[in-house]
Amino acid sequence: MADNVVTHPTSTAPGSQWQPRIIGFLCYWCSYTGADAAGTARMKYPPNVDIVRVMCSGRIDPELIMSAFSRGADGVLVCGCHIGDCHYISGNHKTMARMPLVKRILTDLGIEPQRFRHEWVSAAEGEKFSKLVAEITEQVRKLGPLNWPKLMRERGVGHGMDLKAWGE
Amino acid sequence: MASQPNDAGDQARIGVFICHCGGNVSDVVDVERVAAEVGKKPNVVHSGTHMFMCSDPGQALIEEKIKELNLNRVIVAACSPTLHQLTFRRTLERAGLNQFLFEHVNIREQVSWVVEDREEATRKATRLVNAAVGRIRHLVPLDKRRIKIHPASLVIGGGVAGLVAARDLARRGMRVNLVEKTPFLGGRMAQLDQLFPSNEHARELLGKLIQEVIHQPLITVHTNAQVVESEGIVGDFRTRLRIIPRGVNHHLTYAGNAIAACPEETISEFNFGLTRRKAIYMPYPGCYPQMPAIDWRSCTKCGKCAAAVSGKGISLDEEPKEIEIKSGVIVLATGYDPYEPLYGEYGYGIFPEVISLQQLVRILDEEGPTGGRLLVNNKPVRSMAFIHCAGARQYEGINMPQPDGTVNDYCARTCCTAALHNINIIKERYPDTRIFSVYQDIRTYGRGHEEYYEKASENGVTFLRFDPFDLPTVRHDTKEEAPLLVRTRDLLTDNLEMEIPVDVVVLATGVIPHDISELVDMFKCAVGYDNFLLEVHPKLRPVELAVSGVFLAGSCQGPMDITEAASAAAAAASKAAALIAQGQVEMDPFIAMVDENKCTGCQTCLTVCPYSAITKDERKGVAVVNEALCTGCGTCAAACPSNAIHQFGFTDDQILSEVEMLLSDSAVG
Repeated sequence: MADNVVTHPTSTAPGSQWQPRIIGFLCYWCSYTGADAAGTARMKYPPNVDIVRVMCSGRIDPELIMSAFSRGADGVLVCGCHIGDCHYISGNHKTMARMPLVKRILTDLGIEPQRFRHEWVSAAEGEKFSKLVAEITEQVRKLGPLNWPKLMRERGVGHGMDLKAWGE
Repeated sequence: MASQPNDAGDQARIGVFICHCGGNVSDVVDVERVAAEVGKKPNVVHSGTHMFMCSDPGQALIEEKIKELNLNRVIVAACSPTLHQLTFRRTLERAGLNQFLFEHVNIREQVSWVVEDREEATRKATRLVNAAVGRIRHLVPLDKRRIKIHPASLVIGGGVAGLVAARDLARRGMRVNLVEKTPFLGGRMAQLDQLFPSNEHARELLGKLIQEVIHQPLITVHTNAQVVESEGIVGDFRTRLRIIPRGVNHHLTYAGNAIAACPEETISEFNFGLTRRKAIYMPYPGCYPQMPAIDWRSCTKCGKCAAAVSGKGISLDEEPKEIEIKSGVIVLATGYDPYEPLYGEYGYGIFPEVISLQQLVRILDEEGPTGGRLLVNNKPVRSMAFIHCAGARQYEGINMPQPDGTVNDYCARTCCTAALHNINIIKERYPDTRIFSVYQDIRTYGRGHEEYYEKASENGVTFLRFDPFDLPTVRHDTKEEAPLLVRTRDLLTDNLEMEIPVDVVVLATGVIPHDISELVDMFKCAVGYDNFLLEVHPKLRPVELAVSGVFLAGSCQGPMDITEAASAAAAAASKAAALIAQGQVEMDPFIAMVDENKCTGCQTCLTVCPYSAITKDERKGVAVVNEALCTGCGTCAAACPSNAIHQFGFTDDQILSEVEMLLSDSAVG
């Protein structure tokens, strides 16, 4: 998909170049603190990932991720504690079980699964987080804007749904 | 606990406060522009900036605006919430507003410090603050949970750490239940003799400590008691103990006769297998309780012991009983086990002349199996080689792996000092003994410990240093005059390879944590790579576990000597007592709640909860959250197929409104 053709209103301000819009769900104890560590070390990374904090990555179910895509995200990132380090013991075990589902759902809907990434980031891995943001931003930039309403129409999903809310 | 949902929605009156952070934010993010943009959003009644929001004047500004403009929601955009979220929540409380009607936006660590382009940074900050505006409309007032703390403590483990912790807790007026799995108090310290650096006798010191504990009315001692179940939360732990009958009571007067009459024998764990003991036994004279116990695994209930004392004081048919103990705090003092070398490790188990350091300590003990005489397998010892780091500082592929395939890669800390201490004792009593110390590094780190190294050197001990990748080997020697030949390559003499004939090889062994896997599961303790229990933070919170209300005392946390174990126990007692003294504990309110109208009783939430905090109310057919156990992870909220369970503070509405605002067109600068 050409990235200079902008039809999705949420991806850019009028007249300017499209920028990937990525939502990052980060668990408060490990990955959010890891992102803070990147900041404390003044590491620079692209601004395209907006962080939404939750207490545990186990809070994130595939529905929330799909909702993020449907509301205009071009990419979604989910980060949690490494296995064995979950502040809530096994919340991240559930995350680990759920995330492969997201890839399946995306593929079934004809969306590139590379728009979604799931990584473990510990409180000490500031560098890992900054690299992760740079990588996923580049990846999504290459894939171009998702343009969910157009995609859903093409795939035959959502007949009868009011897609005008997304500027159709 | 929480008030009925009172979503402000259109009644929200939001105050937005953006911090310059003394330039840390404002040098990159145009905070005035952000304030102006956000100020345009519906329901935003105030939107301004301040140089240092967390300062007293900054907080005063928030309080002022709350009162002046009748704000019912407050957003602060500044540094990371990990720093000042609490500060601002308290500010709201002081101004009479519920502290959870607050949103903290991170525009420093996650924006101004990481985004290079000022325009992009400003746009990002605007997006994030706008997202908070969207989210905050859905926040409802919440109350912190308050749990009363039961004013009693449970100490698990009756060794030196457990005894010190119990004594110190009782001194502060706390009731203590001290639980010991074996029939006798004292733990590993009872198996030592002369202690470093003072050469005081271990059991004498231990005896004094035990006397203090048993004469303290606030302490109840349970021996032969095992923890079978524990549930609850800080302030309200309920632990069930299984008490195995001792088989002996205080009516027994001629213990010696009873023991002599017993026909069953088994190896003595107290003497690390060097001797045998009867099924009815006392590990050492002066043990506590001062009466024998029956080891039911070896006892055949033949009744000969009872017959020898006319039946007085021995009862072979008692049943185990269970008791429940309520406590507000728990102290784990479960201790360590000395490493037992594997069969074949440096010849251990193959050659009877290879012994462990813990066995040597028993031999040198005047109350021990040889009366303190240096005899190994009944033969005098003319020469010895001590091989250090047995079972410690191991490398995969070099050292023999443990049964589970891992190696102990940590340094066991106390063994160098212990080995040299015992070497000096031998040299004092048997100055002609030829002793070699075959070591990797000498780590006599403590006060008074380095002197042992110097003294050993002065006493004519030969030190040979080996490379960890080229371990010494031990084999039988039929040619030479001594039974064993130790081969080693000495780094101190330029890699000279040598073979030393010796009568005895002593393996200076490390330590491993005593196996408490059931307790680890019960209390959900974190365990390190070395299998010792893991504290929350090694510097700031060294005796606390991530589980609130459970404290660590002693060598269950890592290799340490008695001094260190006693210090740790005192620290744990201090922390535990401070907690009880507070009377109650406050916890965050971000717990789960079931919407009974939507719940179908499928129990999916039950199965995913890491804390077993959810049960099913069979009568109503719905799930019920135990507010005291729920820690607020939200996993149940994600799992519920009916959207019937919500996490306060992190509902779908709250999260999605944040996501929507982040992606909305008007958010982009």
